[in-house]
Amino acid sequence: MSSTPDDAAPLVPPVTTTQVYQVVVRATPQAVWDALVDPEQTTRYFHRARIEVVGDRIVSHGPDGDLWTDGAILESDPPHRLVHEWRSLYDPVGAEEPASRVTWQIDDRGDGTVLLTTVHDRLDGSPHTASSVSGIGWTTVLSGLKTLLETGEPLVC
Amino acid sequence: MEGDDRVFKALADPTRRLLLDTLLDHPGASLTELESAVAAEGAAMTRFGVMKHLKVLTEAGLVVTRRDGRRTLHHLNPVPVQLIHDRWITRFTEGPTQVLADLKHTLEDQL
Repeated sequence: MSSTPDDAAPLVPPVTTTQVYQVVVRATPQAVWDALVDPEQTTRYFHRARIEVVGDRIVSHGPDGDLWTDGAILESDPPHRLVHEWRSLYDPVGAEEPASRVTWQIDDRGDGTVLLTTVHDRLDGSPHTASSVSGIGWTTVLSGLKTLLETGEPLVC
Repeated sequence: MEGDDRVFKALADPTRRLLLDTLLDHPGASLTELESAVAAEGAAMTRFGVMKHLKVLTEAGLVVTRRDGRRTLHHLNPVPVQLIHDRWITRFTEGPTQVLADLKHTLEDQL
């Protein structure tokens, strides 16, 4: 929290539609990183999507093999930070929208846990995507990832 | 205090729930904007009071802040609430819910 000056304006709808999600996971940074890019693990917490790195892109497929997302990797600093484009190809309306951006930040808390922060931004031109991923879309991914890494079992079978 | 305790304690206050409701509608709100929102609800509260509530919410993981130049932006983080949901609901309801969803699809496919 800060006491620096803010614009002393009344509350108006945000100009940006940045979404921020955060969870503490009892795991090493490497284990969290691996879980993000290993398709065998992502199917167990990420809406059953098979997510894999293909060259300089990150690509995901649904259980039926449909292409769900495909985006360029913008930054990769294992096991700390991964930034990639997001396109909602799983949804005909979302698929028409411009690419948004997902940032994964893995911070070692030094006590056997990591703080995983997921920021989904550049959503201004992608309202359909923003609404489809918001709330339960991302919260179940993060809570499922935590459960998988801490118990070795997915949240739901 | 354990994580869940912090979350329940943070939620057990109407002003803090008002702050979370405001952040749900206005992601990235500044402290000043949150102050205005609280004032608009008729709650008499100083800037310091709002900051104190935000600190409790932040420590519970329900609010995440990030910097944008000189501004501190506040975001609602719903993951702790999802974890509480998982603990008492998801594990028990996902099976039956899936059965009902499958039944619905099967019946609708026959129409």
